[in-house]
Amino acid sequence: MASEAEERQRLLRAVKKEVKQIMEEAVTRKFVHEESSSLTSLCAAVEACLLHCLKKRALGLFKYGSTMALLQKLSKVFEPAAEVSKLVSDMESPSSTELSGSRKSLDNNKNQTKKSTSSIPSSPKFLWLRVAIFHKKLAKILDYLVQNSSKYYEVEALIADPVDGPIFASLLVGPCALDYTKMKTSDHFWTDPPADELVQRHRIHSGNHAFASPGSPKRQGLQVRRDASNAQEEARDPKTFHMSAREYVESLHQNSKLTLLYGKNNVLVQPENKEALAGYLSLHQSSEGLIIMWTPNQLMNGCCEDSREETDRSQYWEFAMTIYLDEVVYIHCHQQPDCRGTVVLVGQDGVQRPPIHFPKGGHLLSFLSCLETGLQPNGQLDPPLWSQKGKGKNTGKVFPKLRRKGSRLSSSTSSSSSSTTSMDEEEATDYVFRIIASFKPDMLTPEMLDPKAPRSSHSPRNLPNSTTPAAPEERAPWPVRRQLPPSPLVRSSVQAYALSQEEQNESCLVQASNDATHRYYDYINHIKQLCDIMTKQIISRAFYGWLAHCRHLKTVRTHLSGLVYHVIVAEDDPIDASDGLTLQAWDKLCCDGVVKDSGEVYRRVYYGGVCHELRRQVWPYLLGHYKFGSTPEEREGLEAAMGADYEKVMSEWLAVEAIIRQRDKETVAANLAKLSQESTDGHIPLVRKDSSLSNEVFVSFESEELSRPETVVEESSTARTTPSSDRKTSMELSITAASTSSMGGIDRAVGTETPPVAIVKKDSVHRGPSQQESPDDGLGGSFARGESVVIESERPKTDSVGDSGILTPMTPRSLPADVTDRIQMTAKLSVDSAVEDGGSVGGGLDSASSTGGGKSRTGSATDDGEQLHQQQGLGSGKIEGGLTVEKCGGPGSRVQEYEDALVSSDASDHLSASKESLLSPASPASNGGIYSAELLDSVALNLHRIDKDVQRCDRNYHYFTPENLEKLRNIMCTYVWQNLDIGYVQGMCDLVAPLLVIFNDESLAYSCFCQLMKRMSCNFPPHGGAMDTHFANMRSLIQILDSELFEHMHLHGDYTHFYFCYRWFLLDFKRELVYDDVFSVWETIWAAKHMTSSHFVLFIALALVQVYRDIILDNNMDFTDIIKFFNEMAERHNAKQVLKIARELILRLQTLIDNK
Amino acid sequence: MASRKKVLLKVIILGDSGVGKTSLMNQYVAKKFSNQYKATIGADFLTKEVMVDDRLVTMQIWDTAGQERFQSLGVAFYRGADGCVLVFDVTMPNTFRSLDSWRDEFLIQASPRDPENFPFVVIGNKVDLENRGVSGRRAQGWCHTKGDIPYFETSAKEAINVEQAFQAVAKNAMAQETDVELCSEFPDPIKLSGDNNKPQGNNCPC
Repeated sequence: MASEAEERQRLLRAVKKEVKQIMEEAVTRKFVHEESSSLTSLCAAVEACLLHCLKKRALGLFKYGSTMALLQKLSKVFEPAAEVSKLVSDMESPSSTELSGSRKSLDNNKNQTKKSTSSIPSSPKFLWLRVAIFHKKLAKILDYLVQNSSKYYEVEALIADPVDGPIFASLLVGPCALDYTKMKTSDHFWTDPPADELVQRHRIHSGNHAFASPGSPKRQGLQVRRDASNAQEEARDPKTFHMSAREYVESLHQNSKLTLLYGKNNVLVQPENKEALAGYLSLHQSSEGLIIMWTPNQLMNGCCEDSREETDRSQYWEFAMTIYLDEVVYIHCHQQPDCRGTVVLVGQDGVQRPPIHFPKGGHLLSFLSCLETGLQPNGQLDPPLWSQKGKGKNTGKVFPKLRRKGSRLSSSTSSSSSSTTSMDEEEATDYVFRIIASFKPDMLTPEMLDPKAPRSSHSPRNLPNSTTPAAPEERAPWPVRRQLPPSPLVRSSVQAYALSQEEQNESCLVQASNDATHRYYDYINHIKQLCDIMTKQIISRAFYGWLAHCRHLKTVRTHLSGLVYHVIVAEDDPIDASDGLTLQAWDKLCCDGVVKDSGEVYRRVYYGGVCHELRRQVWPYLLGHYKFGSTPEEREGLEAAMGADYEKVMSEWLAVEAIIRQRDKETVAANLAKLSQESTDGHIPLVRKDSSLSNEVFVSFESEELSRPETVVEESSTARTTPSSDRKTSMELSITAASTSSMGGIDRAVGTETPPVAIVKKDSVHRGPSQQESPDDGLGGSFARGESVVIESERPKTDSVGDSGILTPMTPRSLPADVTDRIQMTAKLSVDSAVEDGGSVGGGLDSASSTGGGKSRTGSATDDGEQLHQQQGLGSGKIEGGLTVEKCGGPGSRVQEYEDALVSSDASDHLSASKESLLSPASPASNGGIYSAELLDSVALNLHRIDKDVQRCDRNYHYFTPENLEKLRNIMCTYVWQNLDIGYVQGMCDLVAPLLVIFNDESLAYSCFCQLMKRMSCNFPPHGGAMDTHFANMRSLIQILDSELFEHMHLHGDYTHFYFCYRWFLLDFKRELVYDDVFSVWETIWAAKHMTSSHFVLFIALALVQVYRDIILDNNMDFTDIIKFFNEMAERHNAKQVLKIARELILRLQTLIDNK
Repeated sequence: MASRKKVLLKVIILGDSGVGKTSLMNQYVAKKFSNQYKATIGADFLTKEVMVDDRLVTMQIWDTAGQERFQSLGVAFYRGADGCVLVFDVTMPNTFRSLDSWRDEFLIQASPRDPENFPFVVIGNKVDLENRGVSGRRAQGWCHTKGDIPYFETSAKEAINVEQAFQAVAKNAMAQETDVELCSEFPDPIKLSGDNNKPQGNNCPC
């Protein structure tokens, strides 16, 4: 019961969410598109509610879980439901009114909404819901349903619930009050539909195949053909009518779906039994083919005029015509002597459309030439119009010089004999054109030759004849339906048929003179001449085309052949590799821990990826970390060495980090001191928190100078001020002093190595391994351990401190210990007496207090204060060197102790610190030192950046808990420490993350990351030269492999740089895919390097573009749209499909190159 | 009559990494805050339709990578910008100090027609945090020296002042646009005499 209630709530929540969504859309866009994705999901949510605990018998016999049966039950008793039901059934059984062709051609406009809904063939599930919403009936129906729920629902149903049911019904009131449109307006384009909506729309429109075959040369349009058949009996709701009328007129203009090829006003059309009406004739090109539309002037002239005339005008919709040219087989042209022309379109069923009368002037001709142009390349007029050169009225097309149409009377017995008429020169006034489909411009390809071509014996070159009724049909891209056998009832059709046969023989222009056409010998000669010219032109065009192709291939070979290997490795040879590297396969390949057959491993990985459990083992091979053929012992040795090395490097940068923290802490303290000094002159102790407020008071604009010391806190390497850098150098000085003194472990190193940096290194080399053995043995070992403990426990807080910069006590927490240690140890150094003081205090106190002591003591003496700082820097520097046993003894407790002490004493200490001591360094001279100021700055900056990005790296992925983020940080810092010249660049974290997820081992992940970076580092700025190469290659590849897309991109802005690919290449698609897909894509990239291409990323990028090319083209996306689209599509790609396409693309290029 | 022409305003958000550029953009456009944003790589943008002085304006807001090394690829994005939002983190003084270089860099790369009066807005983000590092007066002062750039203190997390800041940049960018129309060769006299010519005051709420 409880679960039922939960379920009800869940369903209701879903509906609420969707309703909210759609209402928002309505508000933001002023209207909702009928195909809006939010509408679809609303319908889905409603459907789910309706199905909830529906009585079995109400579900009816419908096999699919649809509520359609429910609707039908309701429709018997409830009027609105009946209406909806009727609308739906009308929609689902189209073309029952096919009988009268002329009716069919009259596009009654009132069926707009209806048609649009039926234009979603892939989602018929929600059809009735959609219709009900569009017609604002759904709320009523649901209300009725709730009131009568007992009839249809179990008691625990949502609908039957006394509370939830009415809520549910009333939720739908809002969506039912909206107006829905299918209009594409400028608004529509401005509001940038989100990427998933685009993808969804694309799916809806293009069915399944578009995504399956992205490389298909012919793209799918968004236009869904309207079904003109079931038009008449639509509800005459004036509002819908009005809206659709506007839409209709709108659709006559150029718009996204239809290209306007031709438009002419005042074209007369004579409907049956009526007098001719003037109207606007237009010819549109849609992706489905050509559409001729004619609209009476009464409808065109301001469809928004006063409603008084509304009823009058509505009758004109009866006459508006929409003719799909692919239903038309013949075009009869009658030219009157006065240059007016009439066109009669005859459908394949032989039915004539009402005659269209063109006004004076060459309108008929221009209409036909537009038509002919529009038909190309997939169809053509037969006979073709002739190009007229120079002479005559226009330079355009003219009617072919054929015999007059009058001849058809004599040849109506469908013979080819014919040709009784005389060639009456320009007077030829009647023509019949046939619309035929052709596959290629070359009309004489064998496939076009119909074996059953009738009666053209005298013509050795058979014209492509697609009119033979019985011919088995090839799938034409632009469908031409077979005409029916001529019916005696339809005279014109027969005539046309006969005539066309005859004409085609004629117009093939070849040897028509064989038979009775001798009389027109000169005429034929003329034709022959023309024909020769045409032949030459065609040949030369073909030649230039071929030449271009050759050049194109040359480009491929010179620029792109380097991208892929020329040897094609088969997927199924010797055995099918599409399963990838499975456990069994790996077992087979791995003999006694030695994997020798690298080729097979690569092949399997390339074609099928690695089984997830194996990734940890296989990836090091793929990345080149393990060598194929290596023994387990070798690998273990490698691991151990790498691990030691990693530890060593880590201890190095950890040491530097400690210095930096100390430095930061000082400046924090300095700032605080300065602030308090300034404001209160040292009398009132500042509570830390207050300083954020007091900040505003103290820092005035002229205090640029005063605020400078902050610089040290932050890592910004820019704009270093003199005081701070001076201070740093002085710090180095003291560090140097320390290193030359004979203290602790440091002098040991100094003895051997002069460069101070190496001191630390050397120490760590010794101590890294020793750490495991005995803590007491190596100082560094224990140091490293203690250090990392401290750091780990503190990092999360440190970050916030880094932000806050000043006031929290956590940052220095690890440092007080260090400092104290240092103070104790360096007491002997005694650079200054203040240190001695500090040291003595330090025995039991925290560093802050000692500092404070020093400062207060030397408050007036600038030199002293400065030296104190030196000591602090020195202290941390020495700590790095590997420090005191006592520290290792109990760092934790001591740290705690120090911290407490620090907190308590801090305020007063800082208070007493003099501003002068911080701002005016006394001993700026000195060069050298363990770490130069630049180095420290650089490391500090990098560390800060790493911290920022590590925190933000894949926070939502379950693996990255704080301790794993810590690992990530360690790897990152280690890499950056080793490659300070490159430094940290945003994105590197993203590259480490998947490796760490797989290995869950810092040093292995680090080693593999280093391998990975061999290829990737050149992508990262500022050395990112590889990125430009990638872009250039992308450009060439798209040009070669998808010229249409290339053209599009060129038209739409600056595509010289493929910025939308930037992140793809920088991160190897890591951000574009979910983790599991990243794994498989990455390993494929690595394997591809040994199989097909070391630039496999390019082909993945290309595949991604290919997958969405239709969406890009259909939505006319420009440079920015594409960036946005792909950003929104991140982590939603189908990686399997993308990889498959990428491999296919490689194969395509390989074969292209092979072909020479 | 007001122009029915749609206006597209391109606005660039600049600032150091981690100051909250992405959060600001998403708070403004989508009215939501997430602590899940990753470091921005490359660039992304969102669009939002707003009413500015009775005109419907589409703002195209570009979010950029914060690390200055990525600036080299910013050129393509900066080009044609109508406004620029400079963001710093009020708890991190260094992010405030780099505003100078962000501004200069932007002016160099975008090379707007009138650099002196280019519509900038400065945002001090994260005012919801307690450990304040840059005082309002200091930021205000900087803005003052740079030609009275409007200054806003915002919190993308708490949605404080975000709307106002972006509205200001839209308004100022529109004003610029109108000015440009004024001196262009083909002015629309009707349009110009009407709205959009109100003097722009300092929009700072402080």
